[in-house]
Amino acid sequence: MAINPASPTPSMFRKKPSSAMSTAASYLSAVSKADARARGLNGGSTTSTPALSLSSSVTSSSEDTVLHEDIGDSADGLYYPSVPPTSEQVFTTVHTEFGHCANESYRYTSRHTPGEPVKGVVEQDPPYYILITTYVSYLLVICIGHLRDFIDFDSFYTRRLKSRIDDCFSHPVTGVPGRTILLLDRYSTDHNVTFQPTGTRTRGLNISSYNYLGFAQGDGPCADAVEESVARYGVSACSTRREVGTLDLHLQAEALVARFMGMESALISSMGFATNSTIIPALVSKGCLVISDEFNHASIRYGVRLSGANVRMFKHNNMQALESLLREVISQGQPKTHRPWKKILIIVEGLYSMEGTLVNLPALLELKKKYKFYLFVDEAHSVGAMGPHGRGVADYFDVNPRSIDILMGTFTKSFGAAGGYIAGNKALIERLRISSHYSAYTEAMAPPVLTQVMASMASIMGVTIIPETKNSSSLSLLHSSNAIPVPVTNLEATAYPGTAPSTALPNWVSLPPSLCDGSDGRMRLRRLAFNSRYLNRALRKLGFITYGHDDSPVVPLLVFHPGKMAVFSRMMRTRAIPIVIVVVAYPATPLVTSRVRFCLSASHTKEDIDLVLKACDEIGELLDLKQAVGERWPLEEITKRAVELVSMKECP
Amino acid sequence: MSATTSSLEPLFTILSYSYATLETNFYKLPGSSVVARYVKSSHQNDPGRTLLEVFLIIFAIRTLLQSRTRADNSGKHFISFDEKEIDELVDEWTPEPLAAELSPKEQAELASIPVIVGPTGPKPKLSNGKTVLNLASYNFTGLAGNEDIKQSGVETLRKYGLGSCGPPGFYGNQDVHIQLEKDIADFLGTESAILYSQAFSTISSVIPAFCKRGDLIVADRGVNFSIQKGLQISRCTVRWYDHNDLNSLEQVLEAIEKERQKKRSPLTRRFIVTEGIFDHDGAMSDLPKLLKFKYRLILDESISFGSVGRTGRGLTELYNVPADQVDMLVGSVANGLASAGGFCAGTNIVVNHQRINGTSFVFSAAMPALLTVAASEGISILRNTPSILSTLQENIRAVRVILDRVDCISIPSHPASATIHLHVKLPSPMHLSPRVPPPSPSLSSSSSGKPSNPLSPTPREAPQFDAELEEKLLQDVVEEALAQGVLITRAKRLRGQELNDIRPSIRLAISAALNKKDCEKAANVVKAAFVKIVGRQRR
Repeated sequence: MAINPASPTPSMFRKKPSSAMSTAASYLSAVSKADARARGLNGGSTTSTPALSLSSSVTSSSEDTVLHEDIGDSADGLYYPSVPPTSEQVFTTVHTEFGHCANESYRYTSRHTPGEPVKGVVEQDPPYYILITTYVSYLLVICIGHLRDFIDFDSFYTRRLKSRIDDCFSHPVTGVPGRTILLLDRYSTDHNVTFQPTGTRTRGLNISSYNYLGFAQGDGPCADAVEESVARYGVSACSTRREVGTLDLHLQAEALVARFMGMESALISSMGFATNSTIIPALVSKGCLVISDEFNHASIRYGVRLSGANVRMFKHNNMQALESLLREVISQGQPKTHRPWKKILIIVEGLYSMEGTLVNLPALLELKKKYKFYLFVDEAHSVGAMGPHGRGVADYFDVNPRSIDILMGTFTKSFGAAGGYIAGNKALIERLRISSHYSAYTEAMAPPVLTQVMASMASIMGVTIIPETKNSSSLSLLHSSNAIPVPVTNLEATAYPGTAPSTALPNWVSLPPSLCDGSDGRMRLRRLAFNSRYLNRALRKLGFITYGHDDSPVVPLLVFHPGKMAVFSRMMRTRAIPIVIVVVAYPATPLVTSRVRFCLSASHTKEDIDLVLKACDEIGELLDLKQAVGERWPLEEITKRAVELVSMKECP
Repeated sequence: MSATTSSLEPLFTILSYSYATLETNFYKLPGSSVVARYVKSSHQNDPGRTLLEVFLIIFAIRTLLQSRTRADNSGKHFISFDEKEIDELVDEWTPEPLAAELSPKEQAELASIPVIVGPTGPKPKLSNGKTVLNLASYNFTGLAGNEDIKQSGVETLRKYGLGSCGPPGFYGNQDVHIQLEKDIADFLGTESAILYSQAFSTISSVIPAFCKRGDLIVADRGVNFSIQKGLQISRCTVRWYDHNDLNSLEQVLEAIEKERQKKRSPLTRRFIVTEGIFDHDGAMSDLPKLLKFKYRLILDESISFGSVGRTGRGLTELYNVPADQVDMLVGSVANGLASAGGFCAGTNIVVNHQRINGTSFVFSAAMPALLTVAASEGISILRNTPSILSTLQENIRAVRVILDRVDCISIPSHPASATIHLHVKLPSPMHLSPRVPPPSPSLSSSSSGKPSNPLSPTPREAPQFDAELEEKLLQDVVEEALAQGVLITRAKRLRGQELNDIRPSIRLAISAALNKKDCEKAANVVKAAFVKIVGRQRR
């Protein structure tokens, strides 16, 4: 890996040198352009925007951070910052992908206060008339559906009920799923059976993608590294890991993941869902017991079903229920025979993607000491998004990650890539490489994806430069095939949660200084933490019923009625500044608790959140959604006192 | 006597009084007279029914009050302990270690996995610095490292970023995915197609999307691991026929029909599940015959898509059968187009059903746009350059000519298959398995005449072989070939987890990216390695 020097040697893949000087200079010109445009808009005179063709995306300049491929001449804040940047502020990202937010007070650190007990999240119930009308509205559509046919519920549900709101799902999109997203408009003439594209496109503020740290970018150092890797490696590894699909990149990426997670060893699988479904069967078998949180993801249930182990569920995040279940199952042993269980594996998620709740890790680890079970934490949503260093729930609660047996997570969310990982001790990972379906039958992860994982991970960690000696080139490290290339020259670098040594990255990856010193990663983490806490608390102050933890980047807003859910989604999408959100209902949630789900990102600016709040306030009033009890603030007060609201210890 | 009656008098008065108030209050309730009339008349007509209804009400209340958890304290096998005993039991319990230590053999296996430094392709560089001829990677059509694909990949990266950041249902459904699905459907000639983000997770999700408990699946005994897992998850009734033996299939279907008529059970959904070219041994299915049966066909073309047919469309093109006759045609984008993911092609109904019920489609993030576009580009290259497939077939022939007539090798694979499986052939006195006839694709293997039990996945006459010994010999062959500059691999299987013991093999994957001379050179190296290692054993 190479750090961009002040005067970089121009490589054939790099279109232009990107030293800090040239970026600043080019930025100034962009700023002046944006400034002129903003003034033009204010003055009401029409200025023609330079029409950049769509096909110019390869050469789309990294210096132009405001104007991107599309022509957008509205003053809606989607294309241009609503507050024009000043000349001292240097942004290297494209505003539509990663918003420009220079105000340092809009930052927060995602961290659990040590020593404080983990409070269960109080789930507010709506007034009874809401519940009753929810049931009634389901009853109504069911009755109408039954008039049309008469069969079992699941199939009935998808055909007769879901089709009514199908326009809120599977919407085709294009471009980078970053801060904003381009929807391909469509319409239906046959009651949502088929959709026809209109050919037009709408850019909306994207509060729906799993892009927690904002690494979904077509520009910037990560994309540059991926481009280089495509040129060097192509797009596929063309085999399974145990046959001939192991590239040097796989070993490097796995070593980096292990270091990131603070575990001995790690493995990488090419699909997030398959990480669970192909690896859990290698952990447990007949005679073992899996204790699973009732809200665990489908991939976990799929993997457990394949394993042949017994399964018991416990009430979501309820540690008392878990303890009494543990006492029961250990004392009773296996059903009928009463033989002791071979192993007990508890599977929980770090952050629940439908609830926004965090696992009560400290309490679980207390139980673990007493009851000797093994702990599997699925950090699909929490890795990168939680904790002061972005290392997930262990980092957030400040516990040693090695006290957890198996850490699983995906790269789809925070890292803007794809696939998943398992981290654990060396014996476990080696066992999984030998016995799990993943290594023998599934395709190895593609090189560009590995590069995105490594580049984004390194920028979260920061990079310690270790002068490259001839000995420590990546090639020689691979001679002993199962040795993890961890140089022990720098003790500080090896400490968790520390930085990545430059030798852990391929030598052709070049990262700019802002990534190496970790300031970029820190900025992302702190912006995400601020945004999450702000939206969570602000929605509650507005009077909405939300679920989940204050620090969760997933914010579910309860709407209860299936009809309101669809209307909410449509009203958000058709606003003057469209807002793209996800709505979830049965079967992903219980029947009565249909919800809107916001997924925040570091790429959102404070103004973006204000926009969402304003929209929610208006629509919430209209749909009678403000049902929470407790103190309420008016919208203006919330946006004005945002920093105060976020830094409050408790939000009453 | 009268004293007791008089003492009970006030009690009776109270009782009759309270009964009277209850009655008047009851009749004050709106609609109560209707209920009363109903109860009265039904009791009059059939006193037994009143009893039954009272019983039902009690039962309903009991069910409502009962805890909903399974295996609760009231279970038959439940032993109740007090808290102290439970504490003792908890203290006593020691779990097995989470992961069993690796045996020396397993460690050697891990250490023997080759590491490619730099790109994979026809001539990759290994971590020992050596450049080798690659007869192991799934790069049939030589698309790996194609400059046009790289170029469009980079363009896509700049336009879309890398990840899709969401499942298809929630704004992860990008226009490039729709385009690739359309490209695949057009290429094969089906109405529609659906894209999954991993090849292995495709069919194991397609099968349970359609087949539920009570449905009937007739499957080949030699199907790959992914299909096996799909069958396991679907929980449907499975009947097995002998590997690639259509006579056996016919017998099984007849037996099923007889059984159905005997039991007079209603028609259920019925499927045949098999592979185009088998992952386990390279044998090829006779597709036109498979289509004769009145069953829905789920065909896994993970190996054959992109390796047979004039332009690589797979078995349907090879046999000149319209692809829309196969109900669910599953293929691998990772193998066939050197990208990632898998697909299922079929009618609009079949595809749209999976968009809601295909577990690994619904619950997984969509594939990165870059890999999707790479696959679309791959299809257009295949469409426009039929010479790729003819080169591939020539290469296969060149290799087969050399390896077909080696004494110590037996090849179960079809002559046109781009994956060639090499089994060790040992002479009779030395070995447990004297002259095991190789499972030949054209011959029926029911030599003894007695068919296998369709309920069991294991055939009646399971081939006998010494897996340990053969694996070791084959690994020696792999290492010998590697020393001579040819990269080959054993087909890695999870022995013990597969339904049947699969005979160990070396799996060659031929690529159109190598020229004929290199193929011959590589095949000769493999031959020499076999002769050296296995020949020594034979003596």
